[in-house]
This record gives sequence, structure tokens and C-alpha cells, in this order.
Amino acid sequence: MPRIPTVELSRYLLTGHIASPGCLRARAALPGKNTRVALGGAPLPSRQLQPRQHACHLTTETSPANPSTTTSSPAAAAPFRKQLKEQAKALKKSGHKKKKSSDNQTVPGWELTVGIEIHAQLNTAHKLFSPATTPFNDPPNTHVAPFDLALPGSQPLFQPATLIPAVRAALALNCSIQPVSRFDRKHYFHWDQPSGYQITQFYEPFAKDGFITLYARDGIAAEDGEEIKVGIKQVQMEQDTAKTTAQPGDVQWLDFNRVGVPLIEIITLPEIHHPATAAALVRKVQMVLASVDACVSGLEEGGLRADVNVSVRRMDDPSGKLGTRTEIKNLSSFKAVEDAIIAERDRQIKLLEEGGEVKGETRGWSLGSTETRRLRGKEGEVDYRYMPDPDLGPVVIGEDLVARLRETMGVLPDQEADQLMERYNLSAKDALSLMSLDGGARIQYFYNVLDSLEERLVADGQAVPEGAEHATLAANWCLHELGKLTDSASSSTSSDTDVLEGLAMTPLGESPLVPSSSLAAILHHLYSRTITAKVAKDLLWAVYRGEIPEGGTTSYIDTHGLWFKELPEEEYAKLVDEVIQGEEKILGEFLRWKQGKMKAYPQGKLMFLVGKMMRGGPEGRVEAAGAERVLRRRIEEVYLPELEKGE
Amino acid sequence: MSARIGRLRGLCLRHSSWFVVQQHDQPALEQRQFRLAVKDNIATVSPNSEEETPLTTTCGSNFLANYRSPFEATIVTQLRSRGALLVGKTNLDEFGMGSHSVHTAFGPVAQEGEHEQQAVKHSAGGSSGGSAVAVATGEADLALGTDTGGSVRLPAAYTGVVGFKPSYGMLSRYGVVPYANSLDTVGLLAKEVRPIAELILGGADKVTRGLWAEHDPLDPTSLSHGARRRCASQRDCYTGPLPKDPYPLKNLKFGLPLEYNITELSPSIRHSWSAAAAKLQSLGARLVPVSLPSTRHALSAYYVIAPAEASSNLAKYDGIRYGTRFTPPTESDAAVSKGPEGQEEEEEGILYARARTAGFGDEVKRRILLGAYTLSSAAMDNYFLKAQKVRRLVRRDFNRVFALPNPLLDKPERFELSELPETVGLEDKWGPTEVDFLLCPTAPTTAPRLDEVLSEEEKDPVSAYMNDVFTVPASLAGLPAISVPMRVEDKEGAGMAGLQLIGQYWDDARLLAVAETVAGVVREEL
Repeated sequence: MPRIPTVELSRYLLTGHIASPGCLRARAALPGKNTRVALGGAPLPSRQLQPRQHACHLTTETSPANPSTTTSSPAAAAPFRKQLKEQAKALKKSGHKKKKSSDNQTVPGWELTVGIEIHAQLNTAHKLFSPATTPFNDPPNTHVAPFDLALPGSQPLFQPATLIPAVRAALALNCSIQPVSRFDRKHYFHWDQPSGYQITQFYEPFAKDGFITLYARDGIAAEDGEEIKVGIKQVQMEQDTAKTTAQPGDVQWLDFNRVGVPLIEIITLPEIHHPATAAALVRKVQMVLASVDACVSGLEEGGLRADVNVSVRRMDDPSGKLGTRTEIKNLSSFKAVEDAIIAERDRQIKLLEEGGEVKGETRGWSLGSTETRRLRGKEGEVDYRYMPDPDLGPVVIGEDLVARLRETMGVLPDQEADQLMERYNLSAKDALSLMSLDGGARIQYFYNVLDSLEERLVADGQAVPEGAEHATLAANWCLHELGKLTDSASSSTSSDTDVLEGLAMTPLGESPLVPSSSLAAILHHLYSRTITAKVAKDLLWAVYRGEIPEGGTTSYIDTHGLWFKELPEEEYAKLVDEVIQGEEKILGEFLRWKQGKMKAYPQGKLMFLVGKMMRGGPEGRVEAAGAERVLRRRIEEVYLPELEKGE
Repeated sequence: MSARIGRLRGLCLRHSSWFVVQQHDQPALEQRQFRLAVKDNIATVSPNSEEETPLTTTCGSNFLANYRSPFEATIVTQLRSRGALLVGKTNLDEFGMGSHSVHTAFGPVAQEGEHEQQAVKHSAGGSSGGSAVAVATGEADLALGTDTGGSVRLPAAYTGVVGFKPSYGMLSRYGVVPYANSLDTVGLLAKEVRPIAELILGGADKVTRGLWAEHDPLDPTSLSHGARRRCASQRDCYTGPLPKDPYPLKNLKFGLPLEYNITELSPSIRHSWSAAAAKLQSLGARLVPVSLPSTRHALSAYYVIAPAEASSNLAKYDGIRYGTRFTPPTESDAAVSKGPEGQEEEEEGILYARARTAGFGDEVKRRILLGAYTLSSAAMDNYFLKAQKVRRLVRRDFNRVFALPNPLLDKPERFELSELPETVGLEDKWGPTEVDFLLCPTAPTTAPRLDEVLSEEEKDPVSAYMNDVFTVPASLAGLPAISVPMRVEDKEGAGMAGLQLIGQYWDDARLLAVAETVAGVVREEL
């Protein structure tokens, strides 16, 4: 029997990593299966046992924002839609086909290690060190205090209110809030940084030692099993830089509105080993920050920026040391995070397999490309000369503040997903989509629809239904039927998609195109079975096209005669008799069931006949539940006894 | 009243250029008004009314030669409300970095005198040399300076006026262009102690509030109202107007720091120092030798910390926003964005480097390089962090010798007798004598001749750092200190030097009262 190297063994025992790409891996790769379980051993509480040595991968020199690319790179400034178009173009040009991401999560014999730094703009009224208000699409250079421009003799004035979203974010990421933290200056020259340094928290950040739990439903790589916990090394507050807009003819325009706007930087431990998991982490961080109202907008709107540190090592490397890492700056979409990591991993592996050496350097990534590109090497690295800011005292955060913010934090995404799944019977996928669509506004829309629907039911004299049936119905419509509107809208009017941009959902969960009350009215009638599902769908379209004003749903049904007038019992019976003609074979199945020759009731066959009834009956008067009820009764009371007699 | 922007020509000090900005007419003073000169690293808006041409705030640097601040420094506003009429902005070492006011874009400051019928120029000290000369020549009744490591006290000593550096955090730094924020303080210069004391403590009229009581919300290092009251409650002389009579010296204990008796100390100054001590003793004061063992490292610590902060503060002067870019539009500029990958940064480097090379003077460049080095990741531990440790030791030394506790500490520091250096004599079984004030020279020598200074600067630019050896410790500890004129006799005849008094933190009120008495005593020697 071959001897397993100790390193490999310990890596398996402590972290559940398997080196050999043999049959074990094939099984481990089954979706939803945990590698550790697949081996037949008891699941290990591996994450807790993970050796702390990993922590040193993201050492202090892991410098965030690089001066030349922080935010000013034209790629980051371009609207996301434009980037996507460019990506599609690039793909077409290169002739590459999109690979399925599930195929490339691992490379046999190699282990990938990723750490992520996420910058998020805090949702605050004032800048971090000046009373200037934070801009919101305002004219350039209108939100600038003397300190923001670093005028000689001006001094920083820390705005304590910026701590609220920052502490909320850190609490949501399970960090321990430090009672005392400090600000440091990080020096580099760039025109978007008026003082020649950025004020950040390098030596003593305000939050440390957190973690984030990712579940399979968050979209982590199958290899990571049902859930994985990724450590957060620290969360720090810092200043944003000015916005540069490139103009024709070698001219740069500077907008100092953004200078000094508070950011938090979230630094994870290098505990991620699969590209999809890295993307899932960024997505989840965005969702968590949005849920506690800590940040203004998401990755794809530019309110969040991610840098990743990537290294690879051979599974059988006896030293067990992490490989040399490179940093990829400014990834602006979840897909870019995953694609850039895959590309960089493959580049490093290729380099190492050819006997080369990975150089510690900073690299960039543009959407749609297949390779990362070198921005600057170690020799071009800036020594940031971190120095405690001599003007700023320590930040002291009281326990009472932390306790208060913890109490008032609201529902976190995991909790909300669990609730949606348990209370309203949604699938994990649907729950997550509902929560993430429209930047978190869709779920709010759903709650609005649900509230309105329940009000209507109560107004009818009904009690609010105990079960989840009406809520499940509402959720399905908020997701799937609404989704169909925008899907076909964008495909049918692809030339001018910018005109008809989705549902124009507001952050409070209201859509001017499909008001929540209109959808609730439709669902109310559908749930009460006063209209058919088909009519309901037609009504939704009519609302979307603006043919039904808000509050006009019921009168619209009246004027167009769309109420569901169900066939009377005897006409249903007649319809049953019509469709059952020539279906003796199916009736035989029911007989076999009745005689106990078949265990399960032939529901499928029943529904087939129901379908036939729906098609054969008069338009808009047959309803599935009614048809099924009569059909079932007729079969049992009339047809089966006849057949039995006949035998 | 019209104002002329430009450098002074043809006034009583022919060879000095201490006024960067000077008004035509001397204002007619009304009651309670006084003429104020402001060091040119303190932001001013317009001379005395809004119609007048805005003043520049140059910091003695080419970079800011045309810089007009949109706001006024808090201290200037405070003094205006107390009757100050601005008569000029004074020349200085660029950004406050220097000990002789010769490192300036506007030509060196000098005090002119005669020696054996020959006109000679002497150093006015630095970096607030222009302010000191303005007071010494009577061009201004009061002058504002800044004191980072002695920049008010040293020129006061060289020019024979009074220079006061308050406790760190007492006077607002808002609008003071920082050199080293953790050390910078606004300082006041006048011919006598009394006008300074009246501004700090409030006038005898009881109408104007003392500056000590005013917190500035725009300066994060300005002590809060609460802290001011708490500190003052543990101190004498803050309540009531300054007494007319001299503060009684009886029962006061003055410490003579042993470590200040260095070989570089000129014999004439050493002589005057001990004569002053003897005189005070004859008036009932107790004079005791004390030991401040960390003193010998203080100067090196200062020249690590101050340049480090300076290199950071001066990073903003890159020619992009204000100041001169010093780059004629050339073809290489156009190549910046078009250059091949990797080239871009080098081209950018040239842009900044060009501006900073042309914009800063040699001494500023020297200190930026020094600071950039001590903050670099390879040197940080050996220099910046060590210097911070020394700074704590210096503060601890002071806390040990002063009878009053430092109000910034939560609880008084404890000192083990066994850890005391052997040089410290014990008062009784409880330990060494604790003193009220330290008494020492302000500078090791009298004002050197300007030509000697200039040639020395070329040979050994660092030698001038030695002049700060007696002033730097109080700066590192944030303590109040004052230099009063003291007459010295040497082979060249009679000259002026400074006698320095250092007090415990926030003991400014009593320091000023005692300094007035001491200044009178030392003057009697004349």
C-alpha cells in the first residue's frame, strides 16, 4: 500500500482536502456531496480545526487599493451593461465557448488558495473626516470641504455617525468590535488623492476575527459541500478617492465629490479553495451589507469593489507552504471574480508546470478576457510608509453602542432565506433569487404584495389563511410571472432595452409599472378562484402595458367579462363523459389501483384527463380543481363500477 | 487703508525680509488695539477688512508663493476679536523647518548690529525668525509664531524678546500649516511677558476671555471644554486677572537639569544661567539639581518624529492642485497616457518629482527624505517606533521631576527608587526633590553671525540641529515653556540670550506669572 505523505494526510484530516484525483474525487464531485462524507468517514468539524498558520497569508503587506487602478480605471468606470456587451463581443471574437463553471473548480494535483478584499461604500450622510455631505449623482465638485481638498491648515474632523453602518456591517460579519481603534496614513502619490495619503486603519482596525458562512444555496462550489465557513481577518474604515474621468486629448477630469467618502474594507482569510465559492462569498457579503443597510449599492453598480489574492500549490508539496500569490485588482462583477481566479490559477499552474516561477505582482482583469494582465511587479510596489495619523485620536466604541446596534440590526439574509423556505414553502433557489433580485428590492415587493393580498382577504371576511398557500402563490408570481414580463420585454425590444429597463423597482419594493396592489388584486381573485390562472396572467400583462390603472383591476375584469363562471356540476359531468371516450386503457389503470394491484393512485393519468377537459371545455369556464374533482368522482362512482361489472 | 503685497523694502531693517506682506500705513491704534505680525505659515484671509486684497500664506515656500487661503486660522480670528490689527506676515524657514530662518524662498532673515564700527548680521533664530525680528524692532506689539521643536523660543532668545510656547492642545492649530502635527503649537512673541499673559489668561478688564478657555471644534487636537476646566481646576492662577505685583518666588522650587550642562554650552551662557539661579535663590526660591536622563536621546527622537510627520504632511504639495507645477508642457507629457505598459508610472513619477524638486528648498527636501526613510517598512521599527519610545521616556522624566501630576494621565505615574539613575539626589526617604519649574538656557549659544551660519549650513547642514537641544524635550512632552531675555557678557561684549522656564502640563498660567517675575529679575542684571 502506498504511503501517504504526512502533509497530505494532515491536510485531509484537518481541512478535508483530498489530493488524489482518482475515483474518490469523481464521487466527491457529485453535487451536494461533501468530500468528507463521501469518503465514508464521520463528518469532521474541520473548519474549527483549521491551523491558524493560514492567517499569515494575508499579512499586513496585503495592501488594498493600488493608486493607479483603485477606482479610476476606465474599465471600472464604464457602466456594467457596457462591460457586458464588451464581454460578449470579446467572446465572439475569440471564438471561445463559455465553459460551464462546474467543470473547472479544481485542477487535479493542485490546490488553489484565495483571499479576498472587498471595499464597500458606507451608507452615511457625511464624509469620514469632514462635515461635507456625501454626494448622490450630484454635479461634480459640489460636496467638498477644505479638508477634502487637503487645503494647507485644514484638519480632519471624524464624523462619529459613520460608525453606525460600519459597526452594523462588522456585526453582520460576526466580527468582534474593538473598543479602541486608530487611523493611519497610507502614503502614495496620485492625483485622485489630494493629501498624498489615504487615511485608513492599518495597525488597529475597528473590527477583527469574523466569519461568514456560505451554504450550497449561496452557489458555492460543489466540492465545498453543504456549507463552508470563511474567516474574516479584519474590517477597517478608510477614505475613498476622487473620481477621474478621462477626456479626449490626454485630459483627466477630477471630481472631488467622492474624496473622503467613508469605505469599509473587508479582508478575508485565505481560506477559499474554489473559484465559485469566491464569487459566492462576494455575492453574500453584498447581500449581508445590504440587509443591514450598511452600504449604498452593489458590486455591479460600483458601490462595492473586490480584489482577490490568488496562489496555487502542489497537493504533494511536502512543505505545505502556500505558493507565491498575485493580486488581481478591481473586479467589478461576481462572474469576473470567478473567471479571473480561474484564469489566474491556470496561468500560475501552467507557469509552475513549465518550471517557471510565480512572481508576486499586481494584475488586472477585464471582463470577457481569458487571461489576467500584469499591472506592476514587486519592483514597482509602493512602500506605503504607514504612520499613525497625528491629528486623529483613537476611536473608542462603547459596548452600549455595539449592543444597541446588535439589537436593532434586522433580519440577516440567512435568517430570511430560512424563513422564506420554512414559512412560505419556497425552494432554496427561489428564496435566494427573491432576496437578490433588483438589488434586494424584489423581496420587499413580495412583502408588499403579500400584505396587500392578506388585507384583501381579510376585507372579504376571511381570516388570514393559516397555511402558506397564498404566500407561496404570491412568491411564485413575484418571481416567475414578473420575470417573464421583463424577459420577453428585453428580448422583444432588444434594440432599445435602455428605454424599458425591467420593472423600475424602487428600493422600497414598489414598481410603477406593476404596482404591488395591482398584483395583489389579481392574486386575490386567483386565490379566491374567481378568475382562472390564464386570465390572471393576461391581466398581469395588461397591467404591465399600462392598460389597467392602479386600483382598476376589478372593474377591468367586469368590463371585459373575465370572471370565472364555472361550469355547473352536470356540464362538468358531460365534459367528463366526452373526454373519457376512447380512454379505456387509462380507466384500466384506475381499476388496477382500485383492486390493489397498483400501490399509487394514478394521479398522472388523472391530470392528463383534466388537461383534456380544460382544452375541450368552453373557454374560461373550466378550472383545473373543479374539473379534477368531478372527474375523480365520476370515475369512481360511474366508470369503475361499470368496468367491474364488465369483468 | 490700502495694502501692498510684496516684500518689504527700505524699512528700518534693511537687510531682513521678515515681512512677506506689509501694509503702507501704520494703523492708528485705538484703545486696547495692538499691532500683530503673523508668521506666514498661519492662514490669513485679508489684512483687516474684507475689501482689502487677500493675503497670501506662503510658508516661505516657492510652492505656495501665490497661495491664498479661503479661510482664516482660528488663532488669528481670536486675536482680532481682542483688538489685533494685522500689520504683516513674517518670513520663516520654509514650512517651519530650520533654526536660523535662512531656508526660505524669500531670502534669509537677519538682525543687524554693529561690531567695532562694522555692520554685522546675526541670525534671528528660526523658524519664527521674522516674527521675532518684527517684535524686537518694534514693528509689531505681538507676533504669532509656531513652535515645533523650539521655533518660537530660539528666535526669542537670539533677538532678546519673550517667546512663549503653550501646552499642546491649548491654542487651536486650525489654519496653521502643519510641519509635525503632534509637536506643532502656536506660540506668542512680545517684548514683555505681560501682553502674552493677558491674552492667554484674560485681561484685567475681565471682559475678554483668556485664550486658555477656548476650545476650537475645528481642531481635533484642541482640548475640549471639559478637559480644559478639569486641567485648570488642578492649577493655580487661572482664576482672576493676572496680579499686578510680581509672583512671589518664596517657596518655589526650580530644577536645574544636570543633563543640560553640555560641553557645547557656551561659557558665557553657563555663567549667566548660574548667576540667574543664584539671584532667584537670594529672593527665596529653592534651586535644586534634577536629572532628566532621557534628554540626550530627545534630540535624535525629535529629528526622527518631526521629519516623519513632515514627509507625510508635505506629500500634498505635488503641483497638481495648488502651487506651481514647474513643468512646461512638453512632448514627454503627451506621452504619458500613450506610453507602453509600465512606462506610465515612470512618466508620472517625473511629473511629481519635477514639481517637488523645483518647489521645495534643500532643508525641506532633506527632512522629507529623512522622514520617508524612517517610515519605510524596512526602517520603521528601528527609527520611528524607537523614537516614539524615547518620547514616552522624555515625558516620564518630566512627570517624575515635577511636583504637580500630569493631568492627562488617568493616575499618577509611579517611580521605583531603585530604578532611578544614580545622578539623582534624594530629598528624603520618599525620593528626590520635586520641582515647580525647570530653569535652563534656551539655546547653547548666543545668536551666531549670519555668514557663519550660511557657511556652516553648506559644510554640515545637520550641525544647526544642535541649537534645538534645550527646546526639543518640552516639545516632545507637550509642556508649556517660555524664553525670557537674559543678558550675557562675552569677549565680543554684551549680548542677549534666552533663559527658559518649563512647567508641568497646563501649568501655563503660573508659568507666565512666574516668568514675568523672573524676567524682571534677570533684566535687573542688565
